Amino acid sequence: MTTDVDTPRPERQTGGSRAGSSLRRLLTLREGSIVVVTILAIVYFSVLNEHFMTTANLKNLLPYFAPFAILAVGEVMLMVAGEIDLSIGSVYLFTPFMFYEFHELGLSLVICLVASLLCAGAVGMLNGFLTAVVGISSFIVTLGTLLGVGGLTLIISNAAPVDMPGAEVTSKTVQVTHVVNGHKITLPEQVNSVGGFARVFGAGVYSELFWALLVVVVMHVVLTRSRWGMYTIAVGGNRHGAAEAGIKVRRIMIRNFILCAVLAGFVGILEATRASTVTPDTAGAAETMFRAVSAAVIGGTLLAGGEGTVIGALFGALFLGVLRDGLTLEGVSADYLDFILGIAILLAMCINVYVGRVRKGSGHG
Amino acid sequence: MAEDLADDVLRVENVSKRFGAVTALRDINLHLRKGEVLGLLGDNGAGKSTLMKIIAGFQNADSGRIVVKGEEVTFRDVDHARSLGIDCVYQDLALVNELDVVQNMFLKRELVSRPVPLLARRKMRRLTREALDQIGINIPRLDVPVARLSGGQRQAIAVARTVTSEADIILLDEPLAAMGAKEGAMILDLVQKLREEGNVSIIMIAHNYVHVLQSCDRVNLIQGGQITFDKPTPETSVEELNEIVVEEYRRARRAAHAD
Ligand SMILES: Nc1ncnc2c1ncn2[C@@H]1O[C@H](COP(=O)(O)OP(=O)(O)OP(=O)(O)O)[C@@H](O)[C@H]1O
Ligand SMILES: [Mg+2]
Repeated sequence: MTTDVDTPRPERQTGGSRAGSSLRRLLTLREGSIVVVTILAIVYFSVLNEHFMTTANLKNLLPYFAPFAILAVGEVMLMVAGEIDLSIGSVYLFTPFMFYEFHELGLSLVICLVASLLCAGAVGMLNGFLTAVVGISSFIVTLGTLLGVGGLTLIISNAAPVDMPGAEVTSKTVQVTHVVNGHKITLPEQVNSVGGFARVFGAGVYSELFWALLVVVVMHVVLTRSRWGMYTIAVGGNRHGAAEAGIKVRRIMIRNFILCAVLAGFVGILEATRASTVTPDTAGAAETMFRAVSAAVIGGTLLAGGEGTVIGALFGALFLGVLRDGLTLEGVSADYLDFILGIAILLAMCINVYVGRVRKGSGHG
Repeated sequence: MAEDLADDVLRVENVSKRFGAVTALRDINLHLRKGEVLGLLGDNGAGKSTLMKIIAGFQNADSGRIVVKGEEVTFRDVDHARSLGIDCVYQDLALVNELDVVQNMFLKRELVSRPVPLLARRKMRRLTREALDQIGINIPRLDVPVARLSGGQRQAIAVARTVTSEADIILLDEPLAAMGAKEGAMILDLVQKLREEGNVSIIMIAHNYVHVLQSCDRVNLIQGGQITFDKPTPETSVEELNEIVVEEYRRARRAAHAD
């Protein structure tokens, strides 16, 4: 565990313009640098391409961003406690298949949702138990469950895609009246619709955004203003000291593993419902996990534990989404995309580290 | 003698503790009277901290009895010991560097609002400020992570946290270790004040004989996991304590030579 013990230094004189000082205040926040970097990226793409700041494109952007924000928030709660969960990729994939299986048993959609999320939670509990009680490093444990649960998904699905129950699209033709040059004309138009459950849980245009913002707000309050959040920081910052102070370290760790897995399962269901079908693509699942971890890390959460931010994870995910969407809009070929994304992540991290150093006032050493 | 027993707020009877091949405590017996300050001396590795951790409910003894305020107890956890009025300032302080002064002061005894249990930060900050002022600890900012405080300030916070808690059996494991002369005197004054008020009973571990003779009612010496010396401070002196410890050392060296 690295700690820097500095003597407190007097507050630096805040001079300059008002905008300058509020920017400086923003940068003193842990999530400040990623917020600034994200805004710069948005401005850049808006200037570069007139189609970027359109409603249509913002709708395109959402699935690049909202699911990862939720996954990253779960990861933040674990990383702050000094652990990591690599298995979220597989849990994300596995949960909608469990949803499908429960539905095959004739259960209602809401029951299927609850039951499949319980399955996700069980994976989290297993991760937590093996890490906190047995004492295996979470990196190894969740690498194991990443593979194991991925394999389990292939077994129960027979490696074949399924249609997501409740997300069936029904089309009907309606008569729509237009006013053209003062004349009313009525034309038949095809309208696609999905059921209410699907619209709430992923298929509605703003459904994932709604859930992402809800999860971010709730977990931000939990991390910064609740006992649970404080104990999470204590467990990640000084595990032995936390135990001496009487904190139930194992309980906190297991709880955070369960939370992370349930959020991953929930995102899996949102995404499957949005696409109305789900394919057992384990490679894609691992990639999803890497993106979520990246979002958490570039948001300003330390892998070492003790420090992290939920708001930062939101912006980390937004930054990655904006980059992907912006570069795609620019017609950057898929071959270059990951390369550029990788460099952008490294750059964002460098800025984070630099700003972090300035924030802590420990100079440039 | 019967009166003595009734006066004990804490009795440790025949407690043993092993860590693998190391025997940290062997059949140790110790008692603490109500309102008394007991000084605990001993070499490095003698088992002092282990004894404190067992009394604080952080570690379990392998065998033996612990009697708190007349009732035998087997601690389930730290909270259990705390509910019986026992609180410890650990040698490693148990502070979380990433949390600020207020959060560390209230770690595991946070105040929360109702009905939604969110941390009552303003109230905790006010109480922290009051507590630190009362003790005379000067920490300019309470909203900085404790990582940025000096070793002495951190130690002061750990002591303040325990002293201002509800506890009436207070364990201080080397509370002066990181303190400068002035700050150390402040902690000793604090112990002196508590001693005069007589509401709490204290076990204080220290390596400095002078401090112990100054601030304690009674001295225990722990050697090789056992109490080998137990006298009221007026009946002993720096010379006597020094003599015992040095004698022990000489004997050990002679024994080593003889082998
Ligand atoms: N958790 C542990 N695991 C293994 N051995 C331990 C553990 N805790 C203490 N010990 C051993 O028990 C013995 C007593 O340790 P303890 O910390 O109680 O000594 P101490 O009297 O507090 O010493 P010091 O003055 O250096 O603080 C030592 O030999 C130590 O190595
Ligand atoms: Mg010790």
